Amino acid sequence: MRLSHVTKRFGANVAVNDVSLDFAPGEIVGLVCENGAGKTTLMAIAAGELAADEGSIEDRVPVAVVHQHFLLVSEFTIAENLALAMWGRDAGEIIRESGIELRDVRRRVADLSVGEKAKLELIKAIARRPRMLILDEPTSVLAPTEARELFDVMRRLAATGTTVIFISHKIPEVLEVATRIVVMRRGRIVVDGGTMSATELAEKMVERRSDSPVRPLVNTPRHVDSRPGSAGRTGESDLRLSDLRLSGLRVPLHPGEIVAIIGVAGNGQSELAASLRDSLRGRVAHIPEDRARDGLVAEMTIAENIALAERRWRPRAAEQRAAALIERFNIRAQSPLQRAGSLSGGNQQKVILARELERQPEIIIAAEPTRGLDIEATSFVHDELRDAAARGAAILLITSDLDEAFALGDAIHVIYRGTLSPRLTPDEAAVQAPGLMAGIA
Amino acid sequence: MRARQLLIAVLAAFSAVALLALSGLVFGHGELLSILISGSVGSTFALEGTLLKSVPLLLTGLSVAIAFRAGVWNIGGEGQFLAGAMGAFLGARYGMIAALAASLIAGALWASIASALRLWRNAPEVLTTILLNFIAIHLLGYAVNGPLQEASGKYPQSDLASASLPASGELHAGIAIAVAAAIAAWFLLYRTAEGLRLRASGFNRSAAKWAGVNVNAQLVRAMAISGAMAGLAGGIELLGVTHRLFERVAAGYGYAGIAVALLAQLHPLGTIASSFFFGALTTGAGELQRTAGISSTVATFGQALVILVTIVFTRRKIA
Amino acid sequence: MTHALLSAIPLAIVASTPLLLAVLGELVVERAGMINLGIEGMMLTAAMTAVIAAQLTHSIALGFLAGILGAAIVGALFGLFAIRYAVDQIVTGTAIVLLAQGMTGYVYRELDLFYQPVPRMTFDPIVPLAWIVFPIVLALLLWRTRFGLRLRACGELPAAVTANGASVTTHRWIALAIESALTGIAGAYLSLALSSGFAENMVSGRGFIALSIVIFGRWKFRGALLGTAVFGIAAAAQYALQASGRGVPFHLLLAVPYVVTLLILCGIAGRVRAPESLGKT
Repeated sequence: MRLSHVTKRFGANVAVNDVSLDFAPGEIVGLVCENGAGKTTLMAIAAGELAADEGSIEDRVPVAVVHQHFLLVSEFTIAENLALAMWGRDAGEIIRESGIELRDVRRRVADLSVGEKAKLELIKAIARRPRMLILDEPTSVLAPTEARELFDVMRRLAATGTTVIFISHKIPEVLEVATRIVVMRRGRIVVDGGTMSATELAEKMVERRSDSPVRPLVNTPRHVDSRPGSAGRTGESDLRLSDLRLSGLRVPLHPGEIVAIIGVAGNGQSELAASLRDSLRGRVAHIPEDRARDGLVAEMTIAENIALAERRWRPRAAEQRAAALIERFNIRAQSPLQRAGSLSGGNQQKVILARELERQPEIIIAAEPTRGLDIEATSFVHDELRDAAARGAAILLITSDLDEAFALGDAIHVIYRGTLSPRLTPDEAAVQAPGLMAGIA
Repeated sequence: MRARQLLIAVLAAFSAVALLALSGLVFGHGELLSILISGSVGSTFALEGTLLKSVPLLLTGLSVAIAFRAGVWNIGGEGQFLAGAMGAFLGARYGMIAALAASLIAGALWASIASALRLWRNAPEVLTTILLNFIAIHLLGYAVNGPLQEASGKYPQSDLASASLPASGELHAGIAIAVAAAIAAWFLLYRTAEGLRLRASGFNRSAAKWAGVNVNAQLVRAMAISGAMAGLAGGIELLGVTHRLFERVAAGYGYAGIAVALLAQLHPLGTIASSFFFGALTTGAGELQRTAGISSTVATFGQALVILVTIVFTRRKIA
Repeated sequence: MTHALLSAIPLAIVASTPLLLAVLGELVVERAGMINLGIEGMMLTAAMTAVIAAQLTHSIALGFLAGILGAAIVGALFGLFAIRYAVDQIVTGTAIVLLAQGMTGYVYRELDLFYQPVPRMTFDPIVPLAWIVFPIVLALLLWRTRFGLRLRACGELPAAVTANGASVTTHRWIALAIESALTGIAGAYLSLALSSGFAENMVSGRGFIALSIVIFGRWKFRGALLGTAVFGIAAAAQYALQASGRGVPFHLLLAVPYVVTLLILCGIAGRVRAPESLGKT
């Protein structure tokens, strides 16, 4: 299949800019790019879901896409989900043909582990017998061992002549499995083929914004600096997790300390955060995982959202305070009276942070605080969390981003299927985490 | 934003009346529109009637507006109205103030049954409030056919209430109370922290929860205030207009409140104008029945039209 | 008392047949992702159109057909707003009820034929249809066909339906059509068989009670039958009490069905899981 000079615009935004790509059967193309670089649009065009404004596509083949967010009906069984995609074929036979293991098709999808759900999505796509398979960030919800299994499947498919396109921002993985590397940035192809080191790839993927060197996003553990300010503080805030789904493990949390809870998404993190939100009272700040749904009231202004935590409502004073916070947190907004829903994701997160940190909380529970944010916003959030810790707050960081956890965490727990591992030092975690995340003790 | 809302409201009201007039023409009643207008605002007498009808509509409209703004589906205005009327009747023996207070409390309590069921048993309030309407109607029926029936025992109605609202001719002090309630509701929703939290819960319950709002407490408070408003409507209607209880004392005011609130775009101050419109519609419809024999249920029909036109143009979530 | 109760049960089953039909119809619609509060108005309209047709043609069959037509018109209006314009379903449903009440109230006073008794129904297939045939057919439709699978997916995750090239709106319209047919029969049965004609507000909240039973039955047909039966038996208690002349005030007895429904709604507690996309526009 060949894409020639494909361009696609959405209003003033050029999502895909003059892209030409030649795909050959049997290759595994690693498409490396950040969120927002245009990969979703490009793949939608390749799959025939979207029409390009300019350019052409020749030699079209059947394409199947495995999306980042599952399109599975939780209440239906595996068999019903397969039937929905492909009526008339026996579920067991579909699974056998795909070569992927998934037992007992009468189980409800809601009862499956995240890895099994990912497998089901893959099986659905393969069942359509495509000549091209596009996988959009498939490893974001897989444990390291499951990712390896996926790579085997990809290799097997490629061997039968299918073109596999593997989209990911995790460079080491792409390097491991891809036969050809393509880098996309801001709608353009900046690299196609050739050999490059991980660092060089990382630099190509991201535009340099400041003098600081771009760190390659590799899953090697970091050594954490000793935290200033925490030495000598006594007293601890214990979080006793007594929710039914979580083991009654005590998580000691000291002021000035950042404890990271890592795990593949979907292993109980959301339930943990919600249960903490409902049970902890006092000067506790909560940063929700789903920014769009739970973070801000989109219909209300920035000032109103920030004032939600206050005791009194004084419109003018709230407006002034919001203006000051916009200044301090460098939030890109026209005015404090702007609707919160019209801000970009990064700026919304800043508003949430501003609201929560303004209360001088003693404990901060931050769930996936940098999800979907660009590099600048991410480092901003990290700096704010570090500063809050330095000021004496105790921070519980729930994240599926291992780099973030190792960069910030003084101690690490791994969460798997609703249970927490015992407390680990970063060094211990570096060794044990991959296994713990996959459920192998 | 404000101008657009006003435009939608005017458009909705206009469309409803136009559609009514049109259907009148279709059914051979070309004079429908003119009777509606003359019967509602065409004379001092008509205007008086309109104002009197606007009062309960204003309050039930406030009831719905507050509830919907808080994200609570209170369709129980009819039953809360009746609870308020019964409460006012019982409290009247202690004076007018006591009667009014009793109507507020009765309405709030009746509504709180629904919020309690929602919190304890997860029963959806949209259904429980409607069911409570039916129960209230039958409770009233029992009362006026039984323990509260007038001494002479002739009709299913109560004796005259022991208290009443000060009045000048037909117009009673309830008008002032209703307008004051509208202003108070506006203040509550837009100038207090409680109102901010209520509105936030209505827009996005989940986000409000994460921001630290106790959404369950908000639900209970919103329901109680909403019920109190509807109850007050019933109390004022009793003390100012009907002076006794009888089976059809609520006359659809509760459900009409939904139309009033939506036309006012859920804005408390807007319900003042909106209730006047529907008061005119109801009074005019009464005149229609008297002079042209057209069922006064055209008013109900008109309410439905307004609701439908309004939500099509508003097109977003109700709160 | 027990004897009175037992002998009231067959009566209760017949009497709750319109309710059951409404429950069945609403179940299909809610499985497709919509909440139709307007079902009360659909039944009311059907009750009226059925009487009009039966009086004009002296045919009960045509009366039922007219009932279905009446319900369908109101249902189409609901669909126009809830599906095509995708506005809030609860407000739309409430407006539909008001609309139907206004319309039927107006027509009731305009036509004379309502004051004459309706033709009698000699053969009653409706009860076995409603309690046996329809539940089985609908259950098979929803759980054993591709259409039914897709319809249920519309209520859980509409995106999964469109991803496979099917249309969510088509499925919802068909669900609404099924509900209209069932509700039309319900309304016609109410006015032609159970009562002797049309009376204002004769539906008396059956639509809302039906919605409650759908929830109680956990959106399954078995639950629908059970819930309606439970309600019917409780209603039978009302008749029995009335008949026994125990001196329970008449008006309080009238409130019994609604209190029972409240209790039914309380019985679901926290563990009920509605179709995921129910009511979402």
